[in-house]
Amino acid sequence: MEPLPLTEPVLLVLLSLAEQPRHGYSILKDVERMSGGRVKLSTGTLYGALRRLLEGAWIERVEEDESPRDRRPYRLTSRGRRNLQLEVERMRHLTKLAALRIARKEA
Amino acid sequence: MPRFYRWLLYLYPSLYRRAYGDEMISVFRDAQADVSDGSFGERICFRAREAWGLLAGAVQEHLSIISGRYQLISFTRFNMRPEFRFPRSTVFLMSIIFAGVILAMEKAHTIQVKYAAGAGSIWPSLPWFLGLALLFTCVTAILVWGILFALGRTGAHRLAKIQPGTNMTN
Repeated sequence: MEPLPLTEPVLLVLLSLAEQPRHGYSILKDVERMSGGRVKLSTGTLYGALRRLLEGAWIERVEEDESPRDRRPYRLTSRGRRNLQLEVERMRHLTKLAALRIARKEA
Repeated sequence: MPRFYRWLLYLYPSLYRRAYGDEMISVFRDAQADVSDGSFGERICFRAREAWGLLAGAVQEHLSIISGRYQLISFTRFNMRPEFRFPRSTVFLMSIIFAGVILAMEKAHTIQVKYAAGAGSIWPSLPWFLGLALLFTCVTAILVWGILFALGRTGAHRLAKIQPGTNMTN
């Protein structure tokens, strides 16, 4: 399993692919939309992340005959989805803990 | 810019370029079309982001190849091999030292102006200093990339994989 935690751009790329298979430009726009315009990935950063995710078998290319070579979609693998769930679970635990600590301090 | 972008792509390893080059150019074109109607500042930010992303990505890919492990520069924070750990405190200390150097130079400049009015300064002003620092960083990055590229060409990274006693011709 790949080590966690993930950086925010990689997490957003995975979340983008969790919904549906997407090609590079679609991921780029979805990440920007999800982050409210705060995270704008460059193509270099995006494809560096995609290469590493492919290498770790977190994502895979969707082989479609009709899709052009420069617009190949990517999708999450079962391994990627499982690891994403683990990361989200970790963040949920952290958020819960933070809320409790803050509430205790305020009380 | 597309021509410059293609040129920057040549900084990447050839395997990487063959695998992702066409896709990257296509995505870049779409993204550039998005900002073409934007303000001058937006277009400059876009170009700077793309150029920096490519430079950083190229160095990262070469390092990954030379290390022989793609996990060396991972997508997790500061996640390097145990024997090559880069402590977070170093970043903090380097930032403090850098800020200290800039402050000292500014102070020296102020003192010089105060006590030697009219004399020509040998210290550059802060914008010039930052510009020179940026230039120096770029030149260093190019040199490092050149060294890594040369090492990759000579196959020096394969030496670490050779087991003692094995036949070198295999």
